[in-house]
Amino acid sequence: MTSRRKGLAGLHKAYFDIVQDWVKGNIAAGLLHDGTRLTVAAVADRLELSRSPVKRGLELLTVAGHLTRDERFGYIVGNGTQAAPNAANLFALPLPDLAPATGALARTGWERILDEVAEVTAACIPFGIYTISETGIGTHFGVSRTVTREVLSRLQERGAIGKDRASHWVAGPLSARMLDDEYALRRLLEPAALVAAAAALRTQLPGMQARLAKAGPNCPPEDIDLIEADLHDTCLTYQPNRRLAAVLTHLRSGRRVNRLFATHVVQHDESALLTEHRLVLDHLALGDGEGAAAALRHHLDADHARTRERLKVLSVFEDPVVAPYLTRVG
Amino acid sequence: MAQKQSTRPGLRIIGRSELVTQPIRDRAAADLGFPISFEMIDSIDGLARVVTRPDTFDLYHQWHTVDLIWTARCIQPIDVTRLDHGQEILAAARGRSGPSRIIDTVFDKLFVQADGRLGPSPTLQLSMLPLLHGVDSFGYLPGLRDLVGGEAESWGWLLDARLQGRVAMINDPVLGMIEAALAVEATRGRAFSSIGNLTLDEVDEVADILLHRKRIGQFKGMWSSFEDSARLAQRGALIQSIFSPGVARLRSLGQEVIVGTPSEGSRGWHADLCISSEASGEVLDMAYAYLNWWQNGWAGASAARQGYYATFPARVRQHLLPGEWEYWYEGQPAPQALADPYGQTSIPAGHRREGGSHAERMSSARVWNTFMDEHTHIVHRWREFLAA
Repeated sequence: MTSRRKGLAGLHKAYFDIVQDWVKGNIAAGLLHDGTRLTVAAVADRLELSRSPVKRGLELLTVAGHLTRDERFGYIVGNGTQAAPNAANLFALPLPDLAPATGALARTGWERILDEVAEVTAACIPFGIYTISETGIGTHFGVSRTVTREVLSRLQERGAIGKDRASHWVAGPLSARMLDDEYALRRLLEPAALVAAAAALRTQLPGMQARLAKAGPNCPPEDIDLIEADLHDTCLTYQPNRRLAAVLTHLRSGRRVNRLFATHVVQHDESALLTEHRLVLDHLALGDGEGAAAALRHHLDADHARTRERLKVLSVFEDPVVAPYLTRVG
Repeated sequence: MAQKQSTRPGLRIIGRSELVTQPIRDRAAADLGFPISFEMIDSIDGLARVVTRPDTFDLYHQWHTVDLIWTARCIQPIDVTRLDHGQEILAAARGRSGPSRIIDTVFDKLFVQADGRLGPSPTLQLSMLPLLHGVDSFGYLPGLRDLVGGEAESWGWLLDARLQGRVAMINDPVLGMIEAALAVEATRGRAFSSIGNLTLDEVDEVADILLHRKRIGQFKGMWSSFEDSARLAQRGALIQSIFSPGVARLRSLGQEVIVGTPSEGSRGWHADLCISSEASGEVLDMAYAYLNWWQNGWAGASAARQGYYATFPARVRQHLLPGEWEYWYEGQPAPQALADPYGQTSIPAGHRREGGSHAERMSSARVWNTFMDEHTHIVHRWREFLAA
């Protein structure tokens, strides 16, 4: 949890801070010389950001003494002692792009937060029903109400959350029927995806088989996560249908339930799961895509039965730890 | 580990107050000769603790939670060979004869199978020691007949407009939802596919009807213990879902109460003993001693005096007066006045138990207490109902 939080802190840095860091970094690296003229429009264009965070970032840099405000030329790098500001084309300078350095940065505000809220909410709903606070999300991520609403609207479109009669945002509970629906969909889609990926997957098989061979029935939940990811994620990346992959990405309630169960209740002897996986990989190793698909269906059915039982146990939990913007109501 | 056990206060047992009554608790402590601390938890609220903290108890008197607590592995398999009458359980499971025929469901999840799941095929490992069972329906006062006439007893009365303001219900969502579903079936002329495992839409249908009836004043109140239930009857509830200790209490107070034998069937239940996954060494020895004590029949006889049946009645019979056996198990008229477990007279001479003998009454079980798959949704809708 700690490492995840750390990662998120970087992810949720405000844009004006990112602008400041970018400018300061480039000054320090000698890429932006004293006297270089920076206009809000040019920086926003160069960084592919909107103007308001850029303007705020440049203003803060001015207050901190890194830039000087000039009525005619905008902002000038340095303390303003240069006689003639240098009107450089920012695209012509060897300045680094933002995206590679900051990962999700090229994405818009709501996208940065959407994945996090989606994941946290999905991990809570096996325990019950939660209300989601717009203000809470705004405070937690340091974003505006507009961004918050965009995030929540997207989650609503996905069917992950809804509104109650009093128009509060609510999530959950993860019902047995939702679980049934997901497994029914996965049973239709995953074997097809596996068949499509079978040939391309063969290079990956030795690694997957090695992980399985190493895992014992009582291996840590992290190992089970990797083994499940091998079969249900990696396999998908080797098939060409992106829309299929996008649909399956949102069908992970079963895996979440099993992980929560192992974390909060008890870790079961997972030898049945390991045997099921081994069967799928053995078929793949023989080049038998259809056999692998049949074995995968068997695994999904067995997993479905296990997950239903575990979900029922999670439903009696009283106060699972949740994010500050979620409140349990049922 | 040995040091930890020696500092413990003997055996720690969790139960429900109407199942593990004070006379049973006192007698167990006196007979067994080691310290026992009983903790009575009468709602489902303690279940989260049982599931996550098996180190806080040694024995659990489970009640329709065995599949759930086994999935959570907070209990350990019971070794049949350590039970004084283990062979009797195996024989009953193989033959499915005698009482085991009428309480099939007890045996369905009794044995730990080779794959670690629970099933009916006999093995030497049990998930629980079956103790008691029974059927519950509703109880009503004679005054109810003034409003409904002579028509047949039905769960539909719980939602009947003629009884507005005179109905009470149990406030437990697990049992309450089953009873409400039976009432909806009776009043709406529809059949649920599995009344013990309602789908999401069926739960909503039942909950919506309950909410509507509550808002127009159908219910006098809700009860959480048999004492509450007896008080509600004294305050004017003419009909309510009721446990047999509640019936016994009302009768011992001189209140005539009739237990319904509805044509739609009754709600069956069984209560059993499970050993914590954390119990070991000396504590585990005490746990088995307590299990064997229950099997000797005294506790089952005490429970019989409030209407409960033992899974293996033969040894219970030795601890009952012939008249008690005839009344409670055989459904015959009481040859003399009979006492409840506390020694208070509760059955007048000549009274005949509603529903008949053990076999007749158990064969009316239409549905068994159970945690449904949509438990979270049920609890949510039930809270809405309680708050309305």
